[in-house]
Amino acid sequence: MSAPAITPVFVRLKLSLLRGGLRQSGGRKAAYIASAVSALLFAALQLIGLIALRGHAHADAVVVLAVAVLGLGWAVMPLFFPSGDETLDPTRLVMLPLRPRPLVRALLTASLVGIGPLFTLCLLIGSVVAVARGGAAFAVGVVAVVLALLVCVALARAVAAANVRLLTSRKGRDLAVLSGLVIAIGAQVVNFGLQRLGASGLGELDPAADVLRWVPPASAVGAVHAVGEGSYGLAAAQLALTAGALVALLAVWSRHLTRLMTSPDGSTLPTAGTAARQRTSTGLGRLLPSGRTGTVMERSLRYVWRDPKTKAAWVTSLAIGLIVPVFNAWQGTGSVYFACFAAGMLGIQMYNQFGQDTSAFWMVAMTISSARDAYVELRARALALLLITLPYATLVTVVTTALLGDWERLPEALGLSFALLGAMLATGAWTSARFPYSIPQEGYKNVAPGQTGLAWISIFGGMIAAALLCAPVIALTIWLNVSAWGGDWTWLLFPVGSVYGAVLTAAGLRLAAPRTARRLPEILGAVSKG
Amino acid sequence: MGSSAVRVRGLWKRFGEQVAVAGVDLELPAGKFIGLVGPNGAGKTTTLSMVTGLLRPDHGTVEVVGHDVWRDPVEVKARIGVLPEGLRLFERLSGRELLAYSGRLRGLPGAEVDKRATQLLDVLDLAGAQHKLVVDYSTGMRKKIGLAAALLHNPEVLFLDEPFEGVDPVSAQTIRGVLERYTASGATVVFSSHVMELVESLCDWVAVMAAGRIRATGTLAEVRGDAPSLQQAFLQLVGAQSRDAGSDLDWLGGGSR
Repeated sequence: MSAPAITPVFVRLKLSLLRGGLRQSGGRKAAYIASAVSALLFAALQLIGLIALRGHAHADAVVVLAVAVLGLGWAVMPLFFPSGDETLDPTRLVMLPLRPRPLVRALLTASLVGIGPLFTLCLLIGSVVAVARGGAAFAVGVVAVVLALLVCVALARAVAAANVRLLTSRKGRDLAVLSGLVIAIGAQVVNFGLQRLGASGLGELDPAADVLRWVPPASAVGAVHAVGEGSYGLAAAQLALTAGALVALLAVWSRHLTRLMTSPDGSTLPTAGTAARQRTSTGLGRLLPSGRTGTVMERSLRYVWRDPKTKAAWVTSLAIGLIVPVFNAWQGTGSVYFACFAAGMLGIQMYNQFGQDTSAFWMVAMTISSARDAYVELRARALALLLITLPYATLVTVVTTALLGDWERLPEALGLSFALLGAMLATGAWTSARFPYSIPQEGYKNVAPGQTGLAWISIFGGMIAAALLCAPVIALTIWLNVSAWGGDWTWLLFPVGSVYGAVLTAAGLRLAAPRTARRLPEILGAVSKG
Repeated sequence: MGSSAVRVRGLWKRFGEQVAVAGVDLELPAGKFIGLVGPNGAGKTTTLSMVTGLLRPDHGTVEVVGHDVWRDPVEVKARIGVLPEGLRLFERLSGRELLAYSGRLRGLPGAEVDKRATQLLDVLDLAGAQHKLVVDYSTGMRKKIGLAAALLHNPEVLFLDEPFEGVDPVSAQTIRGVLERYTASGATVVFSSHVMELVESLCDWVAVMAAGRIRATGTLAEVRGDAPSLQQAFLQLVGAQSRDAGSDLDWLGGGSR
């Protein structure tokens, strides 16, 4: 077979895969079409937006930054969405007799087909229109668009080829679970950045843009701008840099591709040589109490770090619990009481404890034979949670107070936080026993099909109950704050809130324990659907 | 009572319309290597789950070494070891951590757990992979680490659901060796399987199950009766006479296409 013939084959393959997206079941097909349409709509909108930006004083900075972010997106996309493009995994082609050069050419051409490249093309054209001034700039613009698009696509391919072992392994799938999180936190940061831009104008972008206009693929757009300014030397250097980056990326990609296609894959390599690093008994284990309490705490804490689902839930809670009170306080719009958010968000982790175990809960169930066993089990899980939550909630409260300079309210904010935390632990323990549900281990879903109602009852019912349980402390806070002499006594809320929270937790665990011990088979059944 | 490891009376379980276990009565002798055999869907897993307290029966009683599983869980759970099928382990722990967790959860002293874990990992050929996370284990390795966790507290009765399913011959031989040594000391092993040759070569006592009922029980010789092999006896018991395949698929093989 002659070498050039394989390029059309790969392009056709890519088109078939795109069409294949339409052949799925009803719901998935609708989602596929909806995401494609919205991507195209968004592409059209930003194209119009960028063209409208033409002539704006800071258009150049905005455009450079946008292209740089786009390039970053292409670089991380294969890591977080490995299944997004099936042709990204060249090991599927291992059995075919293909030479590296034609293969690279064919794969690169095939990569240009799709919604992602179309979206990128729109953004790049819009960027050029926004900054190009004069005929020469538009001529350079055409070259710049092609170069930048190729750099983006080659970047994704090179990253995917370099990490294909990782992406097809268990670690890669773990990483994919965390991707939603990266997007959520990234959205928070972008949101915050936009708010600042709204406050102080687009001029803020200039320093960043000055650096990024030398980083491919943004350097291609930088060149278009430079030509418009009349700095031809600068433009030539930026274009050369982009072209150089493309050549380098293609070389890296080609080398990895050759290695992948000619060496055995992970499944056939002997595993003994790559055995995981020696894990000695951690210091943590020795610090924890002995018996069931310490054993359960150690396992729970290990899972916070090692289990992707648990880790994602914890990072979300930690991040939101920090961002809401602290960012609000920073912008001067917050209140000390927002610090309770940290306690509330982290308290959610006590919910559906056994669902977090998945069907491995049978190992726990086999060792619980009395209400006492169940009590120690639940108490240990609460203690493991407190080990992280208590210092974190305290820290967030203190930082929020410091930012607001409202030190008088620190004791009552802490008291309220701890009361809320106690109430969340109590209701969490109880709903864990009463309304357990499965957490599927694969994919992004956090509730197994058919158990959504159960999860809502568990979480929202529990949160409302927790708020009601806190009512006495909230009422006391309000009363002390409005009564004439109450101001001198608000410090009292700290010990009162703390003790109240502790009592609630103890009571919740006591109530949940016999229920857990009685319902072991039912709980196991409920958490084994994932 | 002394000679009976497990006594089951009138055990029933329905899942919606489907009756999974339809009135099982069973008495399993102590100190034997017992095979619970039956085709897929016979109710073996459901029965074992109910016997070990992981699934609540609709009706019926289960006694293990003389104690009621549902009324006296303290006595029962300390005396049994279980390796269920289709349920996960705590897979984000390493093999050694899983054993340490499981042993300490059962109240054994830490030093004793570590000693036993080292020996079990050694005997089961898992010493090289003891620090790898269980999630990265192969099927055979998972079965072996599950077996180690089930044996760690030296139970009197061991329940294994399909312990050889998906296991390579080397691991199977290792598991077999450990189980034979364990029963030789007077303990009871109850395991389910649909591989007759395996049951025939391992067990000295067999219960045959089909469609949620027990079809035959007794020593291997008793169940086999006049049939040339357990496989034949089993096919007769479950009513699956081998069809004459002569008329169907007559095009298959033989060179002509």
